[in-house]
Amino acid sequence: MALTDDVVIVRPQTTMASWRRRSLLWQVAGYLAMAFVVLMIGMPVYWTVVASFKESREIYTIPPTWWPEAPTLANYMRAWNAAPFGRYYINSLITTTSSTAIKVVFAVFSAYALVFLRFPRKNLVFLFLLAALMVPREITIIPNYITVARLGWINTYQGIIIPGAAVAYGTFLLRQYFRTLPQEVLEAARVDGAGHVRILWSVVLPMSQPAVVTMTLLALVDKWNDFLWPLIITNTADMRVLPIGIFWLLDQEGVINWGVVMAGTLFVMLPMLLIFLWAQRYIVEGIASGAVKG
Amino acid sequence: MDKQITRREFLRGLAAGSGVALLAACGGGATPAAQDTSTPVPPDGATTAPAQVGGTGSTVNITYWGSFSDVLGEAEQAMVNAFNTAQQDVVVEYQYQGSYEDTAQKFTAALQAQAIPDVILLSDVWWFKFYLAQAIAPLDDLAAQAGVDFSDYQPVLLNEGVRDGVHYWIPFARSTPLFYYNKDIWAEVGLPDRAPRTWDEFGEWAPQLVQRSGNTMTRAAYVHPGAASYIAWLFQGVIWQFGGRYSTPEFEITLNEPDSIRAAQFFSDTVNNYGWAMHSTDINREFIGGQAVSMMASTGALAGIQRNAPFAVGVGFLPEERTFGCPTGGAGLAIPAGASAEKQQAAMAFIAFATSTDGTITWSQSTGYMPVRISAVNDPKMQAFFEENPNFRTAVEQLPKTRAQDAARVFIPNGDQIIGRGLERIVINRENVERVWQDVTVELEEGAAPVLEDLEALRARA
Repeated sequence: MALTDDVVIVRPQTTMASWRRRSLLWQVAGYLAMAFVVLMIGMPVYWTVVASFKESREIYTIPPTWWPEAPTLANYMRAWNAAPFGRYYINSLITTTSSTAIKVVFAVFSAYALVFLRFPRKNLVFLFLLAALMVPREITIIPNYITVARLGWINTYQGIIIPGAAVAYGTFLLRQYFRTLPQEVLEAARVDGAGHVRILWSVVLPMSQPAVVTMTLLALVDKWNDFLWPLIITNTADMRVLPIGIFWLLDQEGVINWGVVMAGTLFVMLPMLLIFLWAQRYIVEGIASGAVKG
Repeated sequence: MDKQITRREFLRGLAAGSGVALLAACGGGATPAAQDTSTPVPPDGATTAPAQVGGTGSTVNITYWGSFSDVLGEAEQAMVNAFNTAQQDVVVEYQYQGSYEDTAQKFTAALQAQAIPDVILLSDVWWFKFYLAQAIAPLDDLAAQAGVDFSDYQPVLLNEGVRDGVHYWIPFARSTPLFYYNKDIWAEVGLPDRAPRTWDEFGEWAPQLVQRSGNTMTRAAYVHPGAASYIAWLFQGVIWQFGGRYSTPEFEITLNEPDSIRAAQFFSDTVNNYGWAMHSTDINREFIGGQAVSMMASTGALAGIQRNAPFAVGVGFLPEERTFGCPTGGAGLAIPAGASAEKQQAAMAFIAFATSTDGTITWSQSTGYMPVRISAVNDPKMQAFFEENPNFRTAVEQLPKTRAQDAARVFIPNGDQIIGRGLERIVINRENVERVWQDVTVELEEGAAPVLEDLEALRARA
């Protein structure tokens, strides 16, 4: 608030012309900054796509070429045939969707409980959750492996899915969002006789759409790109997931055929990219519906 | 259950449960060694037939964890398929487990969960850790039963996997450093078409190979890798060439000896004083792209470099200084302790097949790894391959002159990276050699202490 007051005080002192000039300057600077960011983020993606159509020898030439000299689909054919990517797609789909579904359900219910239910030591429960958020994943790998091995779940879908199913960040994210919801709407629902399930389903979830969609997307990408855990917990090729497929295309010793690796990378990137494009409108829509109260 | 469990009892139960898990986790590494492998088995003269136990005639299924992907992975799968069709008693399943580091990490976890494979590929810097934990089996009896003739293996490669006269680690995918040079630039500058015999000679050639525009070097005569790309492996040869070494076999660190310092100073000078060398995270890329016209790199990269380079690739022995020095590297096969005798024998049958004369020839030709069998090198099929690939012949001819690496790099946990990061400080940050080697020595000595204790314990038990 203090900032806008300052601006209001300062503005009348400058002449109209200089103000307009300055705003134009800001606009140009803004566009430059945007172009810079797009370039920063876009370049690696562009490079991935272009390299996937190049022959291996061209990728290693310096100076690099911006456009493939002789565009080829051979990399895609080789990548697809080098590993059972069809099977990897199915496995990635199964593990990602089920793991995400479980995560979202857990996060929604636990966040609702943490915000709208009254029970003793609520803050302590939340503190435990936060603590779980701070544990680095690498540390849990060996204990999780031993547990899963004892359950006889090595090389199974549940072995890939269950250890990562309950994750604290979803609960944390949704709790913070639920707390910002207008109490009046919730009270009105309560007065109208709505129970917890009804309030959650008809009031809280629609109003929290952006947060829930965001959390779902994060969970999706996280599991879709997960490499180390599926690698460790599965043994056979028919249980492996897409990121392991890319790793298979890399040579342990020797010269890496980057064109093929980039083609494989696009196999993994493409579905997530499409989902993002499709889902982002729900984030925007949700923000708009949340703004009704003004 | 006539009374409710109180909260205290519940907590106590929880604590006890996790305690058991913890104990199991800690003790897991050492337990499998108790497995007895001395089940009497009729000696079997045939080379690859597995010694049979029980006489049921049923097939034994074993799993093999390896790190080969892409072209190497396909070659390995072909090897496994050939084995599975060549005999009826054993079926091997090859399971890819990521990089050497991933495979070792997973093996660590698998030992604790007692979900181990029957054959495992371990790299030069990893097998010793599992030997210390008694997680890999002694192979002499198994090899004798499978009719494996150790005398036909390249001694320099085989002996690396021997401790106290016992074989634990059989050479398989082994490589050595090699000197690579860009023949086209060599000809352009008017140098003889060969690798430099000594570093002094290369010091005379190098200024002619360098190209500059203003103050920046656009073409370097030589390129160094970083720690993550195993500079400590390449420098192992150089430190020997200068008369130094990383350590004695008894883990005494010898980096602060004058010759060890001299070698590191030379590496630093190539970049910071003479100004003809550069450093890069991917030396293959710089060499193929023409940013650098020579390098030391693995023999394993030879085929890929020749395929991708737009110029003629030359190779030669590593240059000498006071003497010749070149280490071996790569990975070998081991059999985890703790599996049944039947499975261990099946595993040995596969190793015997993979490292047989014919297996070696096929594997070497399709991957570029060193032939581990002496008879394979002299085989007509291999000689014909050399005719077509004279560069590969050079790599193989250098092999008898190589030697096993110093304990500090391969036996101290993370020793490779500790030395490698020290070299980065010397070459890239231009830090004082003696001071850096002092720090590295301290770090290596700390790392060596638990290894020495484990060795002591092993000796006491024997």
